[in-house]
Amino acid sequence: MAVSGRFVALVVFGVAPIVLIGQPWALLAWLLLVAALATLDLLLAGSPRAVRLSRELPARVRLGESVASILLIANPGRRRVRGMVRDGWSPSAVAEPGRAPLDIPAGEQRTITTTLTPFRRGERRAAHVTIRSFGPLGLTARQATMIAPGTITVLPPFNSRKHLPSRLARLRELDGATSVMVRGQGTEFDSLRDYVRGDDVRSIDWRATARRATASGPGLVVRTWRPERDRRVVIVIDSGRTSAARIDNEPRIDTAFESALLLAALASSAGDRVDMVIYDRRVRARVQGATGAELLSRMVSSMAPVDPELIEMDWTAVPALVRSITSNHALVVLATTIDAPGTSRGLLAVLPQLTRKHMVVVASVTDPTVLDATQQRSNRDDVYRAAAAERALLDQSRVAAAVRQLGAEVVTAAPQDLPPALADAYIALKAAGRL
Amino acid sequence: MTTQAPSQSVLTPTVGRVAKRALFWVAVAAFAILIAIVALATAGSTAGGAPLDPESAAPGGSMAVAEVLRQQGVDVVVASSLVEARNAVAGVDDTTVLLYDPDGYLDDDQLREAATLARSVVVVDANFTQLQAIAPNIAQAGDADTELTAGCDVPAAARAGSVSGEAVGYRVIDDSVGTATCFGSGDDVFSLVQVNRDGVELTVLGLTAALTNERVIDSGNAALALNLLGAKSTLVWYIPTLADVPDAGPATLGELTPPWVTPVLLLLALTFVAAAVWRGRRFGPLVIENLPVIVRSSETMLGRARLYERSSSRLRALDALRMGAIQRLAVLCGQPRSASVDEVVSAVAGVTGAQRHVIRDLLVDTIPGTDADLVTLSDALLVLERDVAVAVRP
Repeated sequence: MAVSGRFVALVVFGVAPIVLIGQPWALLAWLLLVAALATLDLLLAGSPRAVRLSRELPARVRLGESVASILLIANPGRRRVRGMVRDGWSPSAVAEPGRAPLDIPAGEQRTITTTLTPFRRGERRAAHVTIRSFGPLGLTARQATMIAPGTITVLPPFNSRKHLPSRLARLRELDGATSVMVRGQGTEFDSLRDYVRGDDVRSIDWRATARRATASGPGLVVRTWRPERDRRVVIVIDSGRTSAARIDNEPRIDTAFESALLLAALASSAGDRVDMVIYDRRVRARVQGATGAELLSRMVSSMAPVDPELIEMDWTAVPALVRSITSNHALVVLATTIDAPGTSRGLLAVLPQLTRKHMVVVASVTDPTVLDATQQRSNRDDVYRAAAAERALLDQSRVAAAVRQLGAEVVTAAPQDLPPALADAYIALKAAGRL
Repeated sequence: MTTQAPSQSVLTPTVGRVAKRALFWVAVAAFAILIAIVALATAGSTAGGAPLDPESAAPGGSMAVAEVLRQQGVDVVVASSLVEARNAVAGVDDTTVLLYDPDGYLDDDQLREAATLARSVVVVDANFTQLQAIAPNIAQAGDADTELTAGCDVPAAARAGSVSGEAVGYRVIDDSVGTATCFGSGDDVFSLVQVNRDGVELTVLGLTAALTNERVIDSGNAALALNLLGAKSTLVWYIPTLADVPDAGPATLGELTPPWVTPVLLLLALTFVAAAVWRGRRFGPLVIENLPVIVRSSETMLGRARLYERSSSRLRALDALRMGAIQRLAVLCGQPRSASVDEVVSAVAGVTGAQRHVIRDLLVDTIPGTDADLVTLSDALLVLERDVAVAVRP
């Protein structure tokens, strides 16, 4: 049960008769009248319990986009249901409007459209629907809450896809498919063809030329290469406690997701096979054996519900995890944090096992505020902060040096720059034939 | 677009279910109230009640005396105002009036009227002004002994023999009127003085304790009380109250306000409650959501900065700044990563043209003594970096 503003107005309007009559019993009479009207109104209100609810909503939405959630309300009762309805979405789903007017004649059905603009990744849920049904006088209402679950999966935004066209163009240049003369640095032998002016003389295959030698002339033959194809790329994303840290208001894990998505899009169009695993002490998500468009779609849906766990990453299990994915040489990308020697000890301990067989790239987000802090030295507090920031940078560079010494590559950048930086590192490795 | 299954069930309990759930507590409350009522009815009140109140069972009350008198066939009438006492006396000739006014509600005229209401009047614990009004020949004489013997021929006192309990004494200062005195404490102080004047037998009694429930059974108290008060067929037990105070002065606020003010105020209070219910009624329960942890990554850096600051680790802080500066300077001067500090110092001195030992002091040797030194050195490092950057720029 609920009362309306009209009810309050009715109560306060009783001042007039009480003053006019001027007797204390007028108060009692007025209260009885109000109570009678309120009870009558309540009895005449349509039952909110009887309505039938169903939902129509898309299964997934990309973070930052809006989507319409449709609630169908049928009124099978004999009385009109008139009042308000509230669709109980969780706050981070940002449902607009929060409450909507409702007027369903007996035996009919109406739709309530709510626009959802979620601001947090993962599964956003609606728990229940609350209906407040007013009587014909609009004084009092019957209210009931019905369990009406609804779920929408909010996918990572993949904002870094804007970098994809330029990187794909770089790949095509490697491929020799465009007219730009970039010498194929890839190591995979493709075919032999006649020498044309402009070819690198170092690529002349003298043995083939000798075999083809005819009277008509030298008929030089050059070797052509194409970039390696069908290589394996294994992306391991750390979802341990360090990935919960926010840099530029974005958790490290989200930056890792962005980087992984861009790399996967790039590598799959370059013909490589991409596998991804999100791990802290257990496998939180795994995408294996997917290709083409299915790869990205499976990656985003497996990433969506993963949140950082406040536990330490278990690096000792990572080599076995990689081995379970591929036994061949692969590019292993570890999206993690290399901040301090203490926290990176586990990573450094297992790196040799990985680098022995695979090409390893460690991708880590750096905090641009730390870099800014080193230059801010206007007063005493700032100087101490700058000193701490310098110390943090020194720690980072020490860990990065240790990682390089163990034979792995390091890619560090600010959150916005890490995905393209990782893509560039991949292209560079591919061009150098080190995959 | 998917239609999700309407696995619908109502969360809000029905009125019946709420009533059923509340039934137990309603029953508990009703039972508690019942117990309280029964207890109040059976136990009566042990405390409270005015002194010498004939309806009070408290130690200071006088219910015992009044009840016994009733059982003996005396018609005990309780009066709380002079009007009631007058009405009770009217038409009955054979009456005793007991007057006890510890709070002094009555003025002189009222006292005089009360003292002449009947043929027999007992004034208990009269104070100075009361005595002045009704028996000017008797004066107060302070506290009397607690054990007293009658020593007189007033029948009630003689039958009682001796009494006990706190008492006040009186002294007769003018013997011209016929007086009888009993229960003397010596020095002409008596706790019962009887004056016969104009056909009224006025008894001034200082033995208040003798009438109370607590002390009435001690020695001859009961005999004194019953004989003194039960001599006539009717006893008017008159204890003045506020009702005897003549009301005067301007009309009070309550009399001046119109009768609708209180109902309107009540209605406004109810309106406030209704408005609170209107705005406060929740539109369905809250939706629960797990929130992610928020860990700002620069917190460790800030924490370390404050640790440096609190422990005044100036040298440590400055060393961190110097190491960063040396690394950047090495890059600017084209030195390898493995270059030693001395090599960097030489290279910087070469680029800027400054003295080698000045550069070395700045980059290695100077120890900051105060925070001001630290800030100065840090500024000097920044200036040096800028100078080198300008110098090596082609």
